[in-house]
Amino acid sequence: MLSRIAESFFWLGRYIERAEGTTRILSEHYQLIVEDQSISEPMACAILLDALSMPHIGVEDGLLLVRSVVGETGLPATITGAVSAARDNARAIRDSLSADTFEALNAAHLFLSRGLTHSSSPGVGLHRVLERLFVVNGVIDWTMSRDEAYYFMMLGRQIERIDMMGRLLAMRHEQLWPNSGPVAVLRAAGALSAFLRTRAPLQGTDVRKFLVLDETFPRSMRVCAGDAELAVRELERRGVGDGGTLLREVGMLRSALEYTTSDDPKEIDRLISESRQAAVRASDQVNRAFFRQHGTLVWSH
Amino acid sequence: MEEPGLSGLEARAAGGVMSVATVSAPFDEMLEGGIPRSTHRALFNTLEELGPQGLAERARQRDSYLDRHGITFTLGERERPLPMDLVPRIITPTEWQSIEAGVIQRLRTLELFLADVYGEGQVLHDHVIPRTLVTSSNHFHRQAWGVKPANNVRIHVSGIDLIRDEHGIFRVLEDNLRNPSGVSYVLENRRTLAHVLPEVFAKHRVRSINEYPERLLEALRASAPEDVIDPTVVVLTPGVHNSAHYEHAFLARHMGVELVEGRDLYCRDGRVWMRTTAGPQVIDVVYRRIDDDYLDPVHLRPDSVLGVPGLINVARAGHVGIANAIGNGVADDKAVYPYVPALMRYYLNEEPILPNVDTYDLSDPDQRDHVIHNIESMVVKPADGSGGYGLVMGPSATEKELVGAIAAIKADPRSWIAQPVVRFSTYPTVVEDGVIKPRHVDLRPFAVNDGTNVYVLPGGLSRVALPEGSLVVNSSQGGGSKDTWVLEDTQTVDRPIPREVPRAAMVDMDIPGRIDAPVTHDDRMLQQERQQQQQGDASC
Repeated sequence: MLSRIAESFFWLGRYIERAEGTTRILSEHYQLIVEDQSISEPMACAILLDALSMPHIGVEDGLLLVRSVVGETGLPATITGAVSAARDNARAIRDSLSADTFEALNAAHLFLSRGLTHSSSPGVGLHRVLERLFVVNGVIDWTMSRDEAYYFMMLGRQIERIDMMGRLLAMRHEQLWPNSGPVAVLRAAGALSAFLRTRAPLQGTDVRKFLVLDETFPRSMRVCAGDAELAVRELERRGVGDGGTLLREVGMLRSALEYTTSDDPKEIDRLISESRQAAVRASDQVNRAFFRQHGTLVWSH
Repeated sequence: MEEPGLSGLEARAAGGVMSVATVSAPFDEMLEGGIPRSTHRALFNTLEELGPQGLAERARQRDSYLDRHGITFTLGERERPLPMDLVPRIITPTEWQSIEAGVIQRLRTLELFLADVYGEGQVLHDHVIPRTLVTSSNHFHRQAWGVKPANNVRIHVSGIDLIRDEHGIFRVLEDNLRNPSGVSYVLENRRTLAHVLPEVFAKHRVRSINEYPERLLEALRASAPEDVIDPTVVVLTPGVHNSAHYEHAFLARHMGVELVEGRDLYCRDGRVWMRTTAGPQVIDVVYRRIDDDYLDPVHLRPDSVLGVPGLINVARAGHVGIANAIGNGVADDKAVYPYVPALMRYYLNEEPILPNVDTYDLSDPDQRDHVIHNIESMVVKPADGSGGYGLVMGPSATEKELVGAIAAIKADPRSWIAQPVVRFSTYPTVVEDGVIKPRHVDLRPFAVNDGTNVYVLPGGLSRVALPEGSLVVNSSQGGGSKDTWVLEDTQTVDRPIPREVPRAAMVDMDIPGRIDAPVTHDDRMLQQERQQQQQGDASC
C-alpha cells in the first residue's frame, strides 16, 4: 500500500475520533455550564479550551465557547476542522473507501460547514453532529475490509482516543462540579451505562480509574492501548513492519496499563500522563516508520 | 359559583352552599397583579425576549429530543412522551426550607405510625386514631405484621403531594408511600430543558438533582440484611406494559442494578434468588415497583403472576429487604390522612409544618350530611384510589355524577373521602404555539430515607393540569409536567456569584499540543492539479 494512502487512512481514523470525542466533551461541558453555575462561566470556558489546546481569549460564555470549539474549516483542533480534515483525507483515498463512508462523512461536513450547530440550543446541534459521526463509524465497521488500510485507520483511532481521554481527564470535572461532574465525565466518554453496570454505586475516584484501567470498556486507555497493539501486530502479520520499535512502544504502554496494581489516585494520574506521552511517541513513530521513510513525498513533486 | 344543570341540587342544598362554593382567584406563583414577582423577574424577561416564535421553535426541539430519547409514559395501550412544559417553575430557598422540613417531619411521623401498627399498636390503644379505620384499610396487611425491616425503614421512597392554596400556603394534598412514581421525569426534565432552552438557566443558580440515583442506591443498600457486606439490589417491575416502565428501567440503569420481573426470581432456602447465565444469584434488596397484592401469591393474591412466591417469608426471616415495605398503604390511605396532624402531635409532640387540606370523615354522620349537602363544591375521592381514577370534582361534575357520588358515599362511607375544592395555585404554561396561560400545578417532592438521613430531592415533580381550569394533574389523566427549580442562593436570585477556581489547579496535567496531519498539498501542487484537464469531464 502506498505510504500516502496509508497515511490518509491513519489520519482519517484520528480526525473522526477527534471530532467525535470533542463533540461529546463539549456537549457535556456546556450542559454543566448551563445547569450548574457554581463556577464562573469564563473560567469554565477557559478550562475546556486549555484542555483542548485552544486559545481562550475573549471566550466569556457558553455560547461563545460552543462557537469556538465547533470552530471552522481549517482549524483541525475544532469539530468542524476535524471533520473537514477527515473528509480531505477521505477524498484522497476515495477509491479505496466505500461510497457509503464518503457520503456519511460528507454529510457531516456539510452539516457543520453550513453552521447548523450555531443554533441557540447548542445541545441540539451537537447531538446531531454526534449522530452523523456515529453513522460514519457504523458504515466503516460494516463496509470496510479488514486489510492494511483498516488497521492503519484503527491505529490512528486508538492513538487519538488515548489523547482525547487524557484531555477529558485533565479537566477534573469531579472537582469543579462535585455533584454533576462525575456523571458528566462518564457521559462525555460515552461510558455512563458501562460504568454503572459494573461499578455502582458511583464514586468520583472510581470514575478516573475506570476510564484509565477498565478492561472491557472500548474507550478506556487500557483497551485503546491493547487495540493499538493489536493493529500493529496485524500490520506486521501483513508484512508491514518497522522492526519492532512501534510494537514495543504500544506493547509497553498496554502492559503498563494492564499490569498495574495500584489504586492510588496519584498513580492513576501518572498513568494518564504516561499514556498520553506514549501516544505522542507512537504517532511520531508511525510517521517515521511508514509515511516518511523514503523522504517527504518526493515522488509527488 | 353557579354551575349549569345543578338546579335540583341547588334547591336541596340551599343555605350554606354558596358561601362554601365561593372561591377566590387562584394564587399565581409567577405574577402578582400581572407583574412578575421579584424572584421571577429574570425568568419572565428571558421568556419575553424569546417571544412566541422562539418558544414554538423550542417546543419543536423539545418534542424531537423527547422522541429521540424515548422518554415516554404509557397511557392505555399507547406510549407517549410525558408533556414537559418549557416554563420552569421556581421555588425560592425560603419556601423550600419549609417544604423540606415539613416533608421530613411528616415522614418521621408516618414511619413511627407504621412501626406501631405493624408492631405494638400503642396508637390504637390510646385511641388517637380509630382502630376500625386502620383494620378496615385495604392496605393494612396482616401478613406484614411483625416483619421488622433491617434498618427500621419502611418508607424508603416517598412522594408527598403538595398544593398551594389561595393564600400561597403549601398544604399536603396526599401521601404516597407505596410506589410513588415520576422521579425519572424530574431528572429527564432538567436535562431536556437545559438542552433545548439553555438561556433560562443563565441568570439562576439551580440546585442540582443529579445525585438522586446515588442517594436512592445508598438507601436501598442500607436496607439490606445486617450481615450482608456488599448487597445485591434489584428493581422489580411488573413488565414493559406498565405505565411507569420507563421509570423502572431508568432507575435500574442509573443505579447500575438489574431490572427484573417476578419470573426472574424465586425463593429457596430462606433466600431470594435471581436466575442468571452464571447460575442462581442471591438478592439482598428488592426495590419493588409492583403493588402489595401482587407481590407474593403465597400470602396475598394467589393468582398473581407478577410476584415471587415466598417473598414475605424471606423478608420475615430477615434475609431480604423490601422497599418500600409491604403494607405501607395503611399510612397513605386517604381516610387516615385527616389524622396525620394528630399522629404528629402524638409521636413527635410537634405541630405540622405543612398543614393538611380540610378533609371530611364520611363515617361521621354530621360531616357526611354536610358533604352531601355541599357536594358541588367538594372533591370526592376513593379512599384507596390513585392516579385520579374515580375522582368526582364537584364544580365540574354533571348532575348524574354528583347523584352517583352521593349514592356511593351513602352505600360505603369508609371507601370515600371529601375535601372542599381548593383552587390551588397556577403557573404560567405554554399552551399552544407560544401562548402562555396560567395552569394549575401541584408539587411532588421525593424523599429518600436511608435510616440515618432523609434526603429530599430539591424540587420534585410539578404536574400541570393542561386543560384550561382543570384541577386534575395526574399523568394518567393526561397531565403534563414542569422542570422545577429550587434556587441555591438565599440572598439574590438575579446575580449569582459563582466560584472562582484557579485554573492551573484544575487542568493540572501536562497536555501535549495537538499533532496534525502534515499538509501534503502546497499551493503550487493545488494549482497544478486544478489546471489538469480531465478527459471525459467536459463531454457529459
